[in-house]
Parts: sequence; C-alpha cells; structure tokens
Amino acid sequence: MSKKRAATKHGAGLGIGQMLGRLARQREYGMLALLALTVAAVQSINHSFLAAGNLSDMLVQCAPAAIVACGMTFIIVMGEIDISVGSMMGLLAAVVGVLVSKHHYGMSVDLSVLLTLLLGGCLGFINGLLVTVGRVPSIIVTLGMLTVLRGVTEMVLGGEWVTDLPHGLRFLGTGSLAGVPICLIVAAVVAVASIVVATQTPLGRRIYAVGSNPDAARIAGLHETRLKTLVFTLTGFLVAVATVVSVPQLSVIESGIGSGFELLVVTCVVVGGTSIKGGKGTIVGSLLGVLLLGTVRTDLIFLRLGEMSTYWERAIQGAFILAAVLVDHLVRRRGTVEAEA
Amino acid sequence: MGRQRLQSFPYWHEVILAAMLAALLVFARSVAPEFLYPGAQAEMSTHIWELALLALPMTLIIITGGIDLSVGSTMAMCAVVLGLSYQAGISPWVGALLAVLTGAAAGAANGVFVAKVRVHPLIVTLATLAAYRGVAEGISLAKPVSGFPAGFTVLGLGSVAGVPIPGLIFAVALLAAAVVLGKTTTGRSIYAIGHNELASRFSGISVDRIKLALYTLSGTAAGMAAAVFVARRNTAKADIGQGMELDVITAVVLGGTSIYGGRGRIVGTLLGVLLIHETREFVSWQWSRDELIFIVVGALLIVSVLLNTVLSPRRR
Amino acid sequence: MRAKCVSRDLTCAAPNSVYSSQYNSLLQSRGTSISSLPLVEVHGISKAFGGVQALSNVSLNIAPGEVHALVGENGAGKSTLIKVLSGYHRPESGRVSVSGADLRLGDIAASEAAGIAVIHQESTAFPHLNTEDNIFVGREPRRFLGLLDRPLIRRRTRELLERLGQDFNPRVPVEELTVAQRQIVGIARALSKQSRLLIMDEPTASLSSRETDILFRLMRQLRSEGVSVLYISHRLEEVFELSDRVTVLRDGQTVRTRQTAEVDRTELIRMMVGRELGDQAAEQRPAQPSSRVMLEVRNLSRAGVFENVSFELRTGEIVGLAGLVGAGRSEVARAIFGIDSPTSGTAAVDGRNLQPGSVRSALQSGVALVPEDRQHQGLVLPMSVGENLVMVIQSLLARCGFRSSRRERPVVEKMIRKLDIRAASEGAAAESLSGGNQQKLVLGKWLATEPRLLLLDEPTRGIDVAAKTEVHSAIRKLADDGMAVLLISSDLSELLLMSDRIVVMRAGSVAGELSRTEATQEKVLHLALPSSDAATTAVGTA
Repeated sequence: MSKKRAATKHGAGLGIGQMLGRLARQREYGMLALLALTVAAVQSINHSFLAAGNLSDMLVQCAPAAIVACGMTFIIVMGEIDISVGSMMGLLAAVVGVLVSKHHYGMSVDLSVLLTLLLGGCLGFINGLLVTVGRVPSIIVTLGMLTVLRGVTEMVLGGEWVTDLPHGLRFLGTGSLAGVPICLIVAAVVAVASIVVATQTPLGRRIYAVGSNPDAARIAGLHETRLKTLVFTLTGFLVAVATVVSVPQLSVIESGIGSGFELLVVTCVVVGGTSIKGGKGTIVGSLLGVLLLGTVRTDLIFLRLGEMSTYWERAIQGAFILAAVLVDHLVRRRGTVEAEA
Repeated sequence: MGRQRLQSFPYWHEVILAAMLAALLVFARSVAPEFLYPGAQAEMSTHIWELALLALPMTLIIITGGIDLSVGSTMAMCAVVLGLSYQAGISPWVGALLAVLTGAAAGAANGVFVAKVRVHPLIVTLATLAAYRGVAEGISLAKPVSGFPAGFTVLGLGSVAGVPIPGLIFAVALLAAAVVLGKTTTGRSIYAIGHNELASRFSGISVDRIKLALYTLSGTAAGMAAAVFVARRNTAKADIGQGMELDVITAVVLGGTSIYGGRGRIVGTLLGVLLIHETREFVSWQWSRDELIFIVVGALLIVSVLLNTVLSPRRR
Repeated sequence: MRAKCVSRDLTCAAPNSVYSSQYNSLLQSRGTSISSLPLVEVHGISKAFGGVQALSNVSLNIAPGEVHALVGENGAGKSTLIKVLSGYHRPESGRVSVSGADLRLGDIAASEAAGIAVIHQESTAFPHLNTEDNIFVGREPRRFLGLLDRPLIRRRTRELLERLGQDFNPRVPVEELTVAQRQIVGIARALSKQSRLLIMDEPTASLSSRETDILFRLMRQLRSEGVSVLYISHRLEEVFELSDRVTVLRDGQTVRTRQTAEVDRTELIRMMVGRELGDQAAEQRPAQPSSRVMLEVRNLSRAGVFENVSFELRTGEIVGLAGLVGAGRSEVARAIFGIDSPTSGTAAVDGRNLQPGSVRSALQSGVALVPEDRQHQGLVLPMSVGENLVMVIQSLLARCGFRSSRRERPVVEKMIRKLDIRAASEGAAAESLSGGNQQKLVLGKWLATEPRLLLLDEPTRGIDVAAKTEVHSAIRKLADDGMAVLLISSDLSELLLMSDRIVVMRAGSVAGELSRTEATQEKVLHLALPSSDAATTAVGTA
C-alpha cells in the first residue's frame, strides 16, 4: 500500500527527477527543433519555401487552429475534451454568412460578427453546463453536440450556399493592417492573452490546479464547476473568433466547413505536450503543434514529391501523435523505478 | 424502499429504449403507415449493416473502459485495399479477405499501443484515425474503384430467403457477441476489467491479451464492413466511413453502455442501433430533411446519458 | 504595513515572523498568557468504521508552541485521530476545541480555517504546479488588472523557504522535487496560511539523516514561534529528541500523556504494547515432522524498495512477516506473486523458481496472494459474491470457455459455507457486504484455487473481532492441512497468536527472525522500530 520511496533512493531521485523535468520541459524545445529542421529541410529542397508570400500564406492557414488550440489546451489540461469545435465552426460560419447576406437578413457586418461571437460563447456555455452540472462525460456531450450542430447548420443554410459576402466581412478574412493579415493579428493577440492568463493570473493557476489534482483542488476551495464552465465557454467564443477571421477568406460559405477541424486541434494540443490526463500542458507547446501540423500540407507540396503526395497529409499527422506518445512513454519508462500495478 | 427496488432493476435503460422505439413506430403508423411495410423496411435496411457490425466490438471495447475512434478510417483503408487489389486483377472475394486481414492488422496495431505500450486509447485511436485515413488517401490517390462484378456485389445487395446477406453476417456476429459477453468467462473478464482493471490483474485475468483481442476484433469488423459497403455501393474509395465512429459510439452509448466501463449489454446496443436507424429513416421518409436527423440523434445521445445519471446515481 | 495584516491577507508584508506577533496580539486581546491556554483540546472522541471501533473516548491536549508526539502500534488509531482533527472524518461523539473555540467536526474547511494543517508524507497537492503556485493557489496575491503579483509571490516564497532552510528552485514542478522537499512545500503552505497546528505523519520515513536534522531544526524554530506540531512517529529516539510531551494510543484509546523527559524507551514500549498477552493463550501448534520447504526466498531485491530478503516457509507452517508500514512487507509478497518484478534474487516454490513478474507462473505453481487493499485490489465490488469467488478459477470451471453455473455453484456454495460469508444472497454485489465478509470473500476466492502457498496481506484489517476469530481459525485449519502460509500483519498480537515463526522486516531488509517460543511483542517491536544504536535497551528475556 505504501508508495514510499526508501531513503536509498534519495540521491538517485534528485538526479533523475531533475533530468526528467528538463526533458519534459524540453518538449517545447524539441518541437521547436523539429519545426526548424523541417523548415530547413524543405527550404533546402525548394528555395521558394520561405518566400514572404508563402510564409504568410502558411501562417494564415494556421491561424484558426492556433486560436482554438488556446482554448482547447485549457480544456484538456482540466481533464476534459471538446470534439464539437469543428461543427461549431461550421454552424458559426453559416450563421455569420446568413446574417450578413442580403438574401437573408442583410445585417451590418458589425452586428453579425457580434451575434456570432455571442453564439459561440453560448454554445460553449451549454457544453460546459452539461459537463459540470449535468455530469455527462465531456466526450459524450461534445460528441452529441457535434452531431446536433451539424444538423442545425444544414437548417440554417437551407441547402444553399452563401455567396454574396460583403466587403466588410471579407476584409476580416483577407485584409491586413499595416501589412500584417488581420487573422494573424487576432491569432497573436489571442495567443499572448492565453499565455498571460495561463501563467500570470490566479485563474490560470487554478485551472491547472484542478487538472493536476481535482480532489486537492476541492479541498483548497477551488470551484471546479465554475472553472470548467468558463473554459468551455471561452473555447466556444474562440471558435467564433477563428471562424470570423478565417472563413471570409473563402468566397463561399457552405456546409462542409470545419469538418475534421476538431481532430486537427486536439492533435496539435496533444502533440504539443498537453497530457490527456490533465494538469500538464502549455499554450506555447500547442501553438508549436499547430505550426508543425498545420504546415504539413505545404511542406509536402514544396517537397515536390509529386502532386499526389499531399494525400499523405493525414497519415503524417497521425504518425506525429504516435511518435509523440512513444517518446513520452520512453522518457517515462526510463525515469520511473517504482511501479504501481 | 420502492425507489431502491426500482433503482436496482438492471434493465431500465433497455426498457426506455424499447419504449422510445415503440413510440416512434406507433407514431409512424398513424402518420405514414407505408413506412412500416416490410418492403420499405427492407429497402431501408441496407444502410444499417456497417453501423451495426461495428457497434458490436465497440460495445465490448467501451465496456472495458476503452474506445476506438479509428473504425471509420480503418474501414476506408480496407476498402481501398479491396479496390486496389481488384484493380490489380485479383478476384474481389480474395480482395475482401485481404480487406478483412488489413482490418485485423490495423486493429492489432491499436491493441498493441493500448495494451503493451499502455497509451490512453483515446489518443491511440485518434492518431490512427488520422493515420489510417491518410494511408487510404495516399495509396489510392483518392481515386475510386468501381465496376465490381455482380457475383461480388451480391455480398452487399443480395439476400437469402428474403434476409439480406449483410444481415445474415450481422446476425451471426450479434449472436457471437451476445454469447461471448453473456455466457463465457472472457465476457465476465471484460466486465471485470471495466469495473476494476487492477483487481482483474490481481486475479490473474490476462487483461493485456483481452484488450489486444478486442481492438483486433474491432479492426476486423471494420474490414468486413468495408467489404459489405464496397459490394453494396459498387465503389471503393478513400473517403468512406467518415464520421462513422461517432455514429457507432452514439449507438453504443445510447444503448446503455457506460463510457466509464463495466456496464453495457449487446441487447442494449442492438436497440440503440435500431433506434438510431429507424429514427433516421423515418425523419428522412417523412420530412426528407437530413438536418433534422442530426439534431435528433445528437440530442438523443445527450439525453439518454443524462437520464442514465439520474436513474442510477451510482457513478464516480 | 502592519495595519494591513488582517487575518490571512497576503499583502501583509511584515518582515519577520508574523506568527508569533499575530498570535501574541490575539492572546493579549483575550487577556490570557500563552502557557495556560491549550491550543487544541480533544475531548472524548469516538469513531467507528463498520463494526470496528477505531477510536474510543480519546482525549488529549496540545499546548501552543509544543511539539507533541503521538505514538502507538499500527492500528492503534493514530491515523484516524489525524483525520478527525483535519476534518476528514466526523466522529460519533466527542468534541475538539481550538483556542477555546469549538471546532466544527467533519468539515475540512473548518479545520483549515481554525489553523490545523496536515503535512502528509507525499504532500504533492498539485504535482504539476511549482512550489510558488502550490503555496499560494486559492489565495493568490494580485496586483493591477488582476494579474498575479509575481514579485510578491516570489519574495514570500523565498522568505518561507529561507526560514525553512531550503534553497531549491521554487519554479520547478513539485513532482520533480524529492520527498523531503515536497514536505517542505507542504509546511510552507501551512505556514503561509497562518496554521497554528501542524500535524506531521511519519515525516522522516523517507528522509536522509541530513534532511531529518534540517526538519528538526525547523520544528524547533516553529515551536519557538508559537506554532505547535503534532508529531506521529515510530522512531522513538526522534520522539525523545524532539518532543515536549508524548501521548500513547493503544487499541483506539489514550493510554497516557506524559512529559517526554519523564519516560524512557522501555516504558514507552510497554505502554504501547500493554499487558493483554495474558488474555490469549498462544496455542502451541503441533510440529509437522514431514514438512518440506515450500517457499524459498533468496536475496530477493527490488531496487529502492527492499533488498536481500531471504527466508523459508515450510508446508503446514504459518510464518508471520512483521514490520512497520513502509518496511517493504507487501512489496515482497507482490514480488513473489509476480505483480511486481524484482530486480534480483529468486523465489522458489517447491523447489522450482518462479518466473519473476509473471502472475501466471505464480498461479500455476499454486501461489495465491490475498492483497492488502481488499476493495481496490482484492475484489471487483460491483460484481456479485459468486462472480468474485470464481474469478481466478473461472477458466478451469468453464466448459470450452463457457461459464458453467453447474460447476461454479458447488464451489461457491462450499466456500460460502466454509468461511461463513454472510451476504443477502449469492448474487448480491460484493460492495454490499460488510468489511469482514468482504475479507472472507477475498480469502475464499483464493482458497478456491487450492493453493499450496498462501500469502496473506493484512487479512484481518478493519474487521470486527468475531470475524477476525473466524478468519484465524480458518487459517489455522489450512495450515494444519498442509498449506504454507505467509501472514503479513500490523497487528502484533495476531502475529504472535498465529505464527510459528516471525520474520521481522525493517526499512526494506530482514532485521531478524524469532521463533514462537522466543517472540514477544517487545522483541518484535524492538526489531521493527528503527533505532540509531542497536545497543540500547536490552529488552528483557521473554
């Protein structure tokens, strides 16, 4: 029963523990290195890889995943998951399109965007409530929500596509401020804000605390219900933000938007070092994950392996998770001496 | 006192499901009686078999506290194997066998990661969901293969004595699953693992071996489902089965299997599959609006779990 | 700045120890002097679990600025008392008052608010968070815009660590710290909450002697500041070195509270042990002339847990394995059984070496382990009595893999009858059984495998006297019929009653062996308790 380590282990524990710690924290460094390597490799084969235009395109492509990954990191750190973000994005895209289109409601861009953001928050709030108060496991809640929202999206669009997006909205997706695309600015703001919240605010610390040890958190008086609901609401809001700055890049809004997005985001967060068991994970790691995985398609294109090679994109994404997991396992194995059956 | 007795009745969930199914059918009869004609039902049943087939091993996996998100992608990969082998001149029946073997290998890979490397099944199958889909897309170059001979498509479209062939396959699998879960020691071990994996190990149950077997089985079922699908639709391509895993999990959880493990019955899964199927077909029949289907099915899932929590508060 | 020091507001930045000054002002406002007012008064606390009385009319008091030791054998009730004080358990009767004010019992928050803090050995409240966060989470000081006041946190943490004599990096996740350092984090958190009573349960068990010295210096320092420490330990020399007073618990009751300076080791042990030996006549079990060696453990080691454990076990013999919690007894059993893998050494059953780390190999050789934690390791609680009973042998009873109730039922019924397992029915869920019956269920499950070697880990923990006696006679009968039994127990009287021989473990190695005739509670304790000088107290013969 006792999990006590004998005094003999003390000296060894000091060394291995610190080494492990450094290794674990080096996840971010490792990813950065891998990213740098990948970029260098592709660039050496195809020198136009890092050209300004392409670089900007790649980053723009990563922006929506980066925005949502910030919220998803918090969710997974708390030991939950949200696989409805893709369907949420589809619905929110449809909503903003329908609100703004002259054929339908013809609202002003500002109002439409505002309502969409509000709706995103509400959807997240519902998820949070079902998980905390309803005590339905988050995988089930978000699985059901994913399905429901897909249906609602179809209803909103009525089988049609929205094509007459006004200039104001398109600007959000394609425009730039001071030469930097709006979506990148927004993504940067969200990223910085998330990092600040995670590391410099009581809220952030409590979120990690609940994920690290829910029982101790309860004893310490931390409100698990409130924190979890907040985190789900925030993610819903962030999905709306991501939708509003990325979807208008397309000239059409149709019902397939967002499909597979949840998989990408969760993969990025997990590969970025966030543990599915909770308590551990950084925003920076998730963002690096986004960069790594979001650019796979472009990497493949630029590697000139043939036009068919982009089909392997998903396979590579999957391989990434498995590799990350194996690395974790090996690191853990080497460090732990005591085993619990 | 009465409440306690009520709560200790173990078949509540199945009763509620059956009641909902009955209510649906009664409603259908009053509003659109042709829906219930055997001819119509048989025609509609063609959509159900892949889902039903996959739901069986999924039930077992979820009872042990695991999950398999890769079934849709595995199906695609197996279908592609079938298509490509046919294209290479191999008989489609042999191709079907290859598809099943591919599925088994894919499932076994999942099982190794879950049982030996001891990675959380959510993560493993999330990875293979992407990986297998990618492999499917990669080797097929997203090009479909069709034109299978009628001798093969009978697998999906044919019937024997009025019973569709896939239905027969499913019936056999259903029986096997129910028997294994309900009557064998392995079945009991599966429940034990879901309740308390540690105590199961202490009791000498080969937890790793069972888990490996279950994931392999899931992959095999995906292979079989792929063969049936290809035969039915006469086309093999890499984008089939997208989202299938969610439908399967929905059906299983709707059927009363707890996502935490330790509880669940094949009967429940069967009812879950039926309920989803009939709901979907009825909505399609009556209003021909797909979106309603999604909404209803998703809501069903959440509500059924909520109900479960209310009726049997014994939970973590 | 002093003016801002309200209760536990952390913007309070008084430079030196806040505690004594705050406490003094509190006392001055109450018009009493330090020495006369007890800090914590425990009065008549009783707590039972199921049919077992863990605490019975326990009373003691702790003065402010005192290091008060709590000693007693395993199972004497120390842990339960701590849990009552910290609010984890609610006692059936009795009261506790802190500084004269009644404490609301069974309420963790209330105990915390009253200034009681428990420092556990594995005090990893939030393993992934660093020291600073662990200390302040939930009560974080803030500055503009609601952001954490990092400089202040850093400063307060550094101050706390400094006065605790530590200099480890406070920004490393605490799961990477050593056990000693983690304890310090727990202490720091308690201190930052102005705790007035720190309860420490076996704090030195995993510490090196240098870390222990540091901890002691710390505790003396806290004492001088008016903070009290309730110190539970088996290391009697530490009790003598550090404590002002010592309370002895035995069988859930307070024996005495004495000034430490007025007792010596022998007397302390005698108080812990009592005089109940006379009540139970140790039956002399008949010698088994034709017995052979069933289990031979040779130099079995598991790095960091136990080393060079060797002993023998013959058929028909009951060998008790004694030792304190953490001595490595359960771990040895688990290594023999194959749940854990030993790093070196062998265990041979009936002459044949067991395959290390293989439960299957152990099962095939006829080994059975009744584990320590019956609820989490021994039983699948939601399943029925019958299902649990046949769990290990189910494949043997099955016909081609099919469950055969025809074959299972007689086994189940026989076992229920033999052990007198009382349940509503054979189909009743295991979780509905009482502790004693659950224990019999686990025993029955393993007896059904008809083992040759039975490893019992705390088989009578937490069960009432009647059930205990039944289990004892069942075990004795098994041994009489030829089974080799290894009995791990923290209940010394049980070991003395049942064992033909007692092997005593201490801190991961075998400290000694005592035969039935020479074993006494004092001798066993003497071997089991860590002692800096082996030459102390030559405990009297028999």
